[in-house]
Amino acid sequence: MNKLLVTATISLALIALGGCTNKSVVRYGDATAVETTDINFGSTDLQTIAGQMTDSLLLSPVVGTLTANTRPILFVESIKNKTSEHIDTESITDSISTKLLRSGKFRFVDMARVAAVQEQLEFQQNSGMVDASKAVAFGQQVGAQYMLYGNLASIVKSNKDKSDVYYKFTLRLMDLKSGLVEWADETEIRKTKEKMFISW
Amino acid sequence: MHKIFRKTRILLLVIPLLSGCSASSFTNLFSNYSQQMYGVKQAQQQGDFQQAISLIPIRSSTDGSYSLGLLEKARLEYLANNNKQSRQDFEQTYKLIQQSQQRAKIELSLGVENVAAVMSNDNAIRYDIPRYEQSMLHSYQALNYLSQQDLSGALVEVRRANLVQESALKANANNIDASQKSIIAQGASMDSLSQQYPSMNRAIGKVKNGFQNAYTFYLSALLYEAADQKNDAYIDYKKALEIYPDNRYLQQDIWRLANTLHMTNDISLYRKSLSQEVTKKSADASNNNQGQVVFIIENGIVGAKQEASLSLPIYTSHGDMRFYSVALPSYQNQLTVYSPLTLTYQGKSYQAEEIVRLQSLAAKKLQDQLPIIVTRQITRIVAKEEIRKKLVKKGGDVGNIFANLYNIVTEKADTRSWSTLPDSIHILRLNLSAGIHTLNIHINGVNQQIEVAINQNKQTLVTLNTIGTYVGQNIFNL
Repeated sequence: MNKLLVTATISLALIALGGCTNKSVVRYGDATAVETTDINFGSTDLQTIAGQMTDSLLLSPVVGTLTANTRPILFVESIKNKTSEHIDTESITDSISTKLLRSGKFRFVDMARVAAVQEQLEFQQNSGMVDASKAVAFGQQVGAQYMLYGNLASIVKSNKDKSDVYYKFTLRLMDLKSGLVEWADETEIRKTKEKMFISW
Repeated sequence: MHKIFRKTRILLLVIPLLSGCSASSFTNLFSNYSQQMYGVKQAQQQGDFQQAISLIPIRSSTDGSYSLGLLEKARLEYLANNNKQSRQDFEQTYKLIQQSQQRAKIELSLGVENVAAVMSNDNAIRYDIPRYEQSMLHSYQALNYLSQQDLSGALVEVRRANLVQESALKANANNIDASQKSIIAQGASMDSLSQQYPSMNRAIGKVKNGFQNAYTFYLSALLYEAADQKNDAYIDYKKALEIYPDNRYLQQDIWRLANTLHMTNDISLYRKSLSQEVTKKSADASNNNQGQVVFIIENGIVGAKQEASLSLPIYTSHGDMRFYSVALPSYQNQLTVYSPLTLTYQGKSYQAEEIVRLQSLAAKKLQDQLPIIVTRQITRIVAKEEIRKKLVKKGGDVGNIFANLYNIVTEKADTRSWSTLPDSIHILRLNLSAGIHTLNIHINGVNQQIEVAINQNKQTLVTLNTIGTYVGQNIFNL
């Protein structure tokens, strides 16, 4: 009887300890598959925002007339992160500008790399190592005509049963010469997570 | 005799089973947290933060106090100006808090912890980081981001802190009432408890609740202003003023922003409620070539929880009343007085004023929790008494001695709390003309000079940490 009790306790302990260890497996997945690991901002949200924004921009009639005979030059001002998560907003603008470039309707200047370009031009001009006749001269770059900028805001609510997060992404295109906002659109995303009823 | 050993063997097997997967380690069950942290706090008091970090007891990630250990470490890393590591540790703690909030409504491992707690003491339950500690976590995290010139990261932390304070306000309303009812249902009265339990009224002071942290609101307002979100800043200054209505610097900030934002209704209200000295100032003082210097001064270290032993009358299941001795956590009923920082500039002297008293928040939080702690304590006594009776029946005197020994050894109060936090935080704000200034400050009994660069219409933040004779400073141009 007692032996039985001891055996039962030991096997219970083994089961409990066994529950703590589990093997990890690495595998490849689809980069565009819907990701729902947790409620925080994730890859699916980024793809949704970038996709919807570029589609809306390319299909808008205003942009149609802007790009009729020319490829306007754009620069991306940073997207302001107004959420309560540390989100890499540069990655959103990267996706958007890549998609726009791929469409062939726009050209971009990259403000994030100005310092690197300047360093390179200085090297070409002043280091004495580059053939002066072939060195790229200062003052020949083209300025941007339009500015792309926006906000990412969120509202987070939670109670004891579920949590809810709402994201709103706004993007605008401004004509730098006239200061007019030529195009604007927003994307909304809502995610809810209900708590599990029972777990270990 | 043989039988007792068998019983003991089973008991010895059961305890590791209970503490095996997610509950606390043995050290937590048999020695209290304040004792474990004594050396750390001594080293911190002497300003030797690296030594303090090395003295923090190492815990495994399955330990119930793991997140608390991370908090202590992150705070000391912050003091040692090791902002990157501090940021990582705080971030990990935040993730753990998030996980615990997302947990299932019924969690089996929590049940196991509770059984372990009934068998031993409250230290077996995982540490639930209270709201005021969470708000401090985000405040330090904001400063960590600021030290890396990442204002937008700091603002994210500020928003997180605001979410914490909002949810605290919602959760607080119905909690206290329910827990007081439960203690009466357990057969003990609040009266006998309040007669014997050491008073913390002086430590609590004028604090109304244990979670609203004016400092966090002030810091967030300051950062919002730096990001030129004046309206957001105004709202947070107002929230801070609700908690500290007499703080002169808060009044000045409210008045300044109310005028900048043309809050006509508020202006006429504040003209009555704020002190005349503040409201007589002209509204457009910010237009000329001026900037501001803002001091945030942290004083001392928050006191540790102590163990108070008292004997409570409890009705047993047979209907008779017996006195049982229990160990409960408490705080020392006193507040340390810190002489505020004095700044002398152009012949005039200015004094810093208090924006939060963390010792009071901690004491108030404990007072609110007390009914729940006592309820658990009574359940535990009843359970332990039953075990003792069983062992007496089976093992006679030896069983009795064994049971009593076990009960004495495991009767430990839960003294866990974030104990490397400062005791109180003061603020001081001054308008200065743009340019470089040398300011004479008197702090901690020592005269010191600080050189600050002031930019037009911008704030320069100076954080000072004073602990014992140690004074550390950081300057941020916002």
